[in-house]
Amino acid sequence: MEIALIGNPNTGKTSLFNNLTGSYEYVGNWSGVTVEKKVGVFKNNIGHLIDLPGVYTLNPLSKDEGVVTSFFLNESVDRLLNILDASQLERNLHLTLQLLEFEKPALIGLNMIDVANKRGIHIDASKLSGVLGVPVVPVVARSGKGCDKLVDVIATKSIQPTKKNLVYYGKDVEEAITALIAEIIGKTDHSARFLAIQYFEGNEYVQEYVNSIADSEKLKTISANLEIKLQEIYNSKSLANFIYLKRKEVIESIVADVARKSNSDIPLSEKIDSIVTNRILGMPIFLLLMYFMFMLTFDWLGTPLSDALDALLTGPVTVGFEKVLTAINASEFIHALIINGLVAGVGGVLVFVPQIFILFFFISLLEDSGYMARVALVMDRIMESVGLNGKAFIPMMIGFGCNVPGIMAARTIETSRERLLTILLTPLMSCSARLPVYALFVGAFFAGNKAFVVLSLYVLGIVVALILAKIFSSTILKSETSLFVIELPPYRLPQFQSLWRSTWDKGKGFVRKAGTFIFAGSVFIWLLSYAGPNGLNVDMDHSYLAAIGNAIAPIFAPIGFSTWQASASLITGFLAKEAIISTMNIIYFVPNDASLQGLLADYYTPLAAYSFMVFILLYIPCLATVATIYKETASKKWTAFSMIYAFAIAYVLSLIIYQGGRLFGLV
Amino acid sequence: MFGSLKAGDKGKIIDISHVGHLVQRRLLDLGITEGSEVCVKCVMPFGGPIMIESCGQCVGIRRKEAVQIEVERI
Repeated sequence: MEIALIGNPNTGKTSLFNNLTGSYEYVGNWSGVTVEKKVGVFKNNIGHLIDLPGVYTLNPLSKDEGVVTSFFLNESVDRLLNILDASQLERNLHLTLQLLEFEKPALIGLNMIDVANKRGIHIDASKLSGVLGVPVVPVVARSGKGCDKLVDVIATKSIQPTKKNLVYYGKDVEEAITALIAEIIGKTDHSARFLAIQYFEGNEYVQEYVNSIADSEKLKTISANLEIKLQEIYNSKSLANFIYLKRKEVIESIVADVARKSNSDIPLSEKIDSIVTNRILGMPIFLLLMYFMFMLTFDWLGTPLSDALDALLTGPVTVGFEKVLTAINASEFIHALIINGLVAGVGGVLVFVPQIFILFFFISLLEDSGYMARVALVMDRIMESVGLNGKAFIPMMIGFGCNVPGIMAARTIETSRERLLTILLTPLMSCSARLPVYALFVGAFFAGNKAFVVLSLYVLGIVVALILAKIFSSTILKSETSLFVIELPPYRLPQFQSLWRSTWDKGKGFVRKAGTFIFAGSVFIWLLSYAGPNGLNVDMDHSYLAAIGNAIAPIFAPIGFSTWQASASLITGFLAKEAIISTMNIIYFVPNDASLQGLLADYYTPLAAYSFMVFILLYIPCLATVATIYKETASKKWTAFSMIYAFAIAYVLSLIIYQGGRLFGLV
Repeated sequence: MFGSLKAGDKGKIIDISHVGHLVQRRLLDLGITEGSEVCVKCVMPFGGPIMIESCGQCVGIRRKEAVQIEVERI
């Protein structure tokens, strides 16, 4: 049995999905967390649950909303599970009425009753069920309350197809509906009434579908005639608006019937909002929070933990491996492969797990609390001045964790130009995989002000992105249309369990990559450094890796790092940015970070180190990011562009920093 | 006009038709249309967006669109 989960944005669909299927999908308190459909299996195996992006209506404006409409048109589904936000019943019912017109068995999960009650709204679920003709189950998706009952209802009750025609659209529209149905009846498995109404509402996906099965000219005439008629008789603004108002009438009578209002206190949300979106304090508060996040990640908490893990890996773990290898009489080759290749390469990356988890924890906290949407609001003025909108800031913030979900999150941006621009610029956000590189270099060269230097790189990424946004939007991506309407969800106290889940969800990718990609990469890099034109176990300066590095090293001489080691690690950095660290660990022969930091001082000056970090920050996005850019833009041209411009800007900036710094007498 | 409202002021939307089509549609999705009662929650500095509340939900819109919405003070 296939069950589709559908509802307005930010009504808790994904929380419910996780509770019903026992999986851990990405949850956040901002509209548009889910950008594509996800499929899970019910805990008790009654079928598949499909999590769809949140939509206000089936008539889409943005790409993630289009996912829902094309799902309805192209895929088969047995039941619809509509989740409603009880505190916003009127708005939510617009979608419900459209879903019921689809004439599939449906049931309703009434979520956020607790929020509604606090706001003084009390809803009679059984009455609502009676009016709509489908089962209504009250749930609290975040805590899982009521979910068992919901599963029981899905599994046991044979949900009858719904009562027909909840909304009567008036004589004229109904006649046109009948006329349009006559054109398409028998040619489709979908509800003809649903298709007709959506066609009149101007749903492009439905229009395309209907035109493919019927005479498009005839349909157009029916619709145009109806629009003129409505204008003449009712002085209506448009056909879509007329339909909307008819639905609204029905909804108002339903709500009057089932909801009871009482007095309530001022919600906490508004009190918090008066501070964080304060006209003067808004921006400083945001910057202060960012600073706090970086201090915790790099200075106060993250570094001591990473150091402890490092001591464990280079001490007991390496000794343990040595003992085992000696005990089994491993050959010198295997011994070198494991100690100098794997332990150095994979271990060098794993050391940064604590810092990355702390960073992900904070990003999850920002997402879950509802602050993210406020940041978009606070940032909109700046973003607008460079041709973007505040919503583009959310993908960029997510990009601090990992660029891949950041680029995916750009789907919630409604206009295609702003979306493309956001996709192109999100890779400039310093992702967590670049963090180990900074951590290593600031430890070696800027021990006194670690957090400050790293923060400067993050800020540099943002500033470069904003400047490029301005340049791109006034040259190659010119357009007037911009749309910024953002829903600001009420704040909620993040629950530790869901915070931990989403932190783990984001962080496990890093750990998994260390076990697979970095593991294989380490073996490969080590082999390249172990073998050379003159055979095996050569001096590393005569290895294949040195030969490759030397070939491209001259390019980087003007920006401060002409060693073959730097060039070789930059090549592997394209596969995954943290591979730079494992490569360096292998090349410099040191199985632990502390001594690598000491060694680096022989190869870099502080100025060259900063130039190198800036280059790492900006140069070509990693392989996974490039693949995502291609998937999201479906354009080879833009994908190539995203790589080329990044490399060019990285080179130019590093050049300015290195040569400029030398002019001012820095080393 | 929305432009004349300050944080804390309440009003009723009487004409939204001068606003761009996309913004109009999105506001409609959120249940904000002609006849809706709105309350200005805060106004961002430097011509930034404004935050309005309608039926218990908060929405952020840009100043330049807000001034195109005709509002009657209540």
